[in-house]
Amino acid sequence: MALINNKTKKALSGSGVLLLAGLASLPLAAQEGHQLLRNNCGVCHAESGSADNPVFSRISEQRKSPEGWLMTINRMVHLRDVEISADDKRNLVRYLADTQGLAPDEAAPFRYLLEQDTNLIETGVDAELVETCARCHSGARFALQRRTEQEWQYLVDFHMGQFPTTELHALSRDRAWYEIARNQTASTLALQYALDTPEWSQWQSEPKADVTGRWRVVGFVPGKGEFDAVMLAERADDGRYDLSITGRYADGSELSGDGKATLYTGYEWRASLTLDGVRMRQVMALDEQGLSGRMFLAAEREIGGSIQAIQDQGEAAVLALLPSFVRKGEHAEVEVIGHNLQADSLSLGAGVVIEQILSQGPDSIRVRVSATGDEGIYPVQLGDVAQSAGLAVYEQVARVDVLPQDAVARIGGGGMMAKVRTAYRVVGYSAGPDGIPGTEDDLRLGYMPASWQILPADEEAEHDQDHIYAGEIDANGIFTPGIDGPNPERRMSANNVGRLTVVATVTDGEEVVEGSGNLLVSVPDFVRRVLD
Amino acid sequence: MKLNRLFKQHSIKGLAAALLCASALPVSAAQEYLLTVTRPGHLHVIDMKTNEVERSCDIPGKFGSGAITVSPDGKTAFVLSNIWEDVYGFDIRSCQIVFHAAQSSASERVKSFQSLTVSRDGTELYTVQNPTRLLSDRYEILEPRLAVYRIADGLGAQPVRTFPVDRRITKIAATDTGEVILGGGDVKAINTQTGDVRMVAALQNWDRGPLWLPPDAFAMHSQGEQANEYIMPYVTARFSDEEWDFETAEWWWGLSRVDLSTGEAELIEAIPFEFIVFNFITDPRDSNILYGSFNTLSKHDISTQETLIVKEMPHTYYNLNISGDGSTIYVGGTSSDISIHDSETLEKIGAIHLSGDMTTSDLRVATIRE
Ligand code: HEC
Ligand code: HEC
Repeated sequence: MALINNKTKKALSGSGVLLLAGLASLPLAAQEGHQLLRNNCGVCHAESGSADNPVFSRISEQRKSPEGWLMTINRMVHLRDVEISADDKRNLVRYLADTQGLAPDEAAPFRYLLEQDTNLIETGVDAELVETCARCHSGARFALQRRTEQEWQYLVDFHMGQFPTTELHALSRDRAWYEIARNQTASTLALQYALDTPEWSQWQSEPKADVTGRWRVVGFVPGKGEFDAVMLAERADDGRYDLSITGRYADGSELSGDGKATLYTGYEWRASLTLDGVRMRQVMALDEQGLSGRMFLAAEREIGGSIQAIQDQGEAAVLALLPSFVRKGEHAEVEVIGHNLQADSLSLGAGVVIEQILSQGPDSIRVRVSATGDEGIYPVQLGDVAQSAGLAVYEQVARVDVLPQDAVARIGGGGMMAKVRTAYRVVGYSAGPDGIPGTEDDLRLGYMPASWQILPADEEAEHDQDHIYAGEIDANGIFTPGIDGPNPERRMSANNVGRLTVVATVTDGEEVVEGSGNLLVSVPDFVRRVLD
Repeated sequence: MKLNRLFKQHSIKGLAAALLCASALPVSAAQEYLLTVTRPGHLHVIDMKTNEVERSCDIPGKFGSGAITVSPDGKTAFVLSNIWEDVYGFDIRSCQIVFHAAQSSASERVKSFQSLTVSRDGTELYTVQNPTRLLSDRYEILEPRLAVYRIADGLGAQPVRTFPVDRRITKIAATDTGEVILGGGDVKAINTQTGDVRMVAALQNWDRGPLWLPPDAFAMHSQGEQANEYIMPYVTARFSDEEWDFETAEWWWGLSRVDLSTGEAELIEAIPFEFIVFNFITDPRDSNILYGSFNTLSKHDISTQETLIVKEMPHTYYNLNISGDGSTIYVGGTSSDISIHDSETLEKIGAIHLSGDMTTSDLRVATIRE
């Protein structure tokens, strides 16, 4: 039924090339891609080159992420009055991301932007580029693009043409911003983010994996906790994948949902799904290990957590251990999550004794272990194959990192803008061989349960009682800011903004370990961006 | 020490003398009007004797930035409209539109960032134009230029001369010497007949040695008509050594003030940077006394480097101006109210409520002497 509907819609939409149903599940053929560009973009973007290998002005000299292409096409719609059907738009984004995308290594350092993890202070963008470019938006916005020098120059011209006051802002007006950006910065960009790279040539020549089949998944949903699940991906006739997912949270409650996924550029997994009635997004990258990335609420991208999945390839494989740590000398129940598991081939090395098998199935084995060995990571063994997942045996939790370390929440709910919340977690570490926490050799143990509180960030914040007005944090580590608008109770009727320290307390046996993060509770941000 | 702070290109006494001459005019015979623009597009003409809105003129086109310049006879106000593209001239006595220049054309989109002024003889209007071209698949950014319009050309006026100028020019002002002061990275002056450009006050390109932070100068608003000056504030810092420790540096408000009768400038760092000031004006009676507005209304004496009075304001006011006799300060911009203050004490003595928000609009004084 759904199949017929889809086909009918396409037939009516006019770009009949996609009708060959048998082909539709394959990557868009080059001919079809060219035709999409000709039909939708050719009026303004001049075509040159040969019929088999056409070049479209402006379009052919750049590569970017699927979101980058979507942002550009959306701009063509909003600012250049381009009319394009939803199907053509989706197919064009896929075609462009497949043929003019980024290699996995090129996107790797900037995945936070793709994962829409906005609570992060960017590091690693060249100082010149931060000053000239990354003061209005993230550095990742352009670091996730590859262009010729001329294309970088045209991009500078676009900024000046579209936002004529760009050269008058602070950090522009005290220098010849346009001349610097167009001459120096564009050539810096062309060197750092060149159109032609060995990574991209290499990636284009590599065979691409097939993501259909059965996936074992672990992840985290703020407010609900850690979960494990099985996700099935089936090819749909529109080139996407139909997904269904079932599993359960750590507290035993069930989880189920379904949705659609697209694999761009052979590795960029994007899925929209409804999980127990809530719309969620997955942004993951595929590599030899499997999929990994972030899942977040479609309506509230700040509220999300990490997610990982491995594909069933017929062999036994372990995805994760829950929990991933046990204190030295203690007993614990641990769940081993994976595919095709057999309890009798499971071991955890010399320092972790499996005392009892509590339950077993191909997807999960629950065991009771005793940590007899010294501090360290004990990889799971299936027969004689070592898995990448392991169990951490530790002496003492020496440090807990609050994530995100620096965050911005936004007041809202009173007017047009919703509140922007923050979801917190902690990762625990032991001090490692040197016995000093906070050094390179600290042993990462994994996410830990914590209790939460907020404090004023400093004396001024205390004086203004920011911790009372700016919002509250719940037992799950979710911070909800106050309502927007002036608050007559506050000095000068200030609104409920504030500067806070978020404190997590982790109990480890008799010990209590604290960690903290910085939270700025700010005013609503009226600019909603596709990509920050 | 004092010399460092009072860096001058032109004797401060000379300027004061010039100003004394200017204020020797028979002020009493003149009628002053306060002009400002509110959203969505009204030019308000406020009688400064009664502080009542005498008339409000409809400005065609989308809101611009509210930039206003006034002809020397005080009768015509030119307003930048249509998102900084069109200039409309209004007879403020009737609201009649007597001038219109659409700067953009089919082949170019032209924007002016505040830059609008009238020649001292009242015959020419100057704008700085920033043209761009939207080609079929890209923008082309063209060089900025000074455009000269003949005011007598009235509706549909086209430039009669153009000359290339620097980028990033905001407010401009005409001098008695036939030049237009151009405020950008530096303050320069252009001869409106020949297009020759000279440096008036180097800011971005100043040569102060390694202990000074290059100034961050910016002006969104035009004022200074009551002191016959062009005033460009900037922020700078003086470091104790070449390590450039921002914590221990002395931070200063600097002012580049150009005397509009001579075209000569002075650079002064004489107001300690203690709070943000968006605009400064000089007291027409005493060039050492300045007033500043933003979240505060403040009064400064640059001869002693003292901040004399600071008054917290109930909200942000970007902008301010002063009566010709120096007694009354009008603080406006941002919201819909103009706050009126006694210049002696800065006490509030009245308010004017307008029909919309002024946002970035200018607050200018038109003086009709009849
Ligand atoms: C009506 C004319 C028009 C059509 C149709 C059009 N574009 Fe554009 N395009 C422009 C203009 C004008 C620019 C330059 C201004 C800008 O970047 O927004 C541009 C710029 C671009 C750029 C460069 C953007 C950058 O970041 O530097 C890309 C890529 C692009 N278009 C892609 C497309 C694609 C893909 C389509 C078809 C879906 C399309 N355009 C259809 C007019 C058009
Ligand atoms: C004044 C603020 C500002 C500065 C400075 C700035 N940008 Fe942008 N940039 C924007 C805005 C706003 C957009 C969104 C345009 C849109 O799509 O509406 C944007 C869009 C972009 C895009 C996406 C365009 C596309 O369609 O692919 C890239 C890439 C980019 N900027 C790179 C840069 C680079 C490189 C620099 C430095 C030379 C820079 N930006 C400087 C504000 C700025």
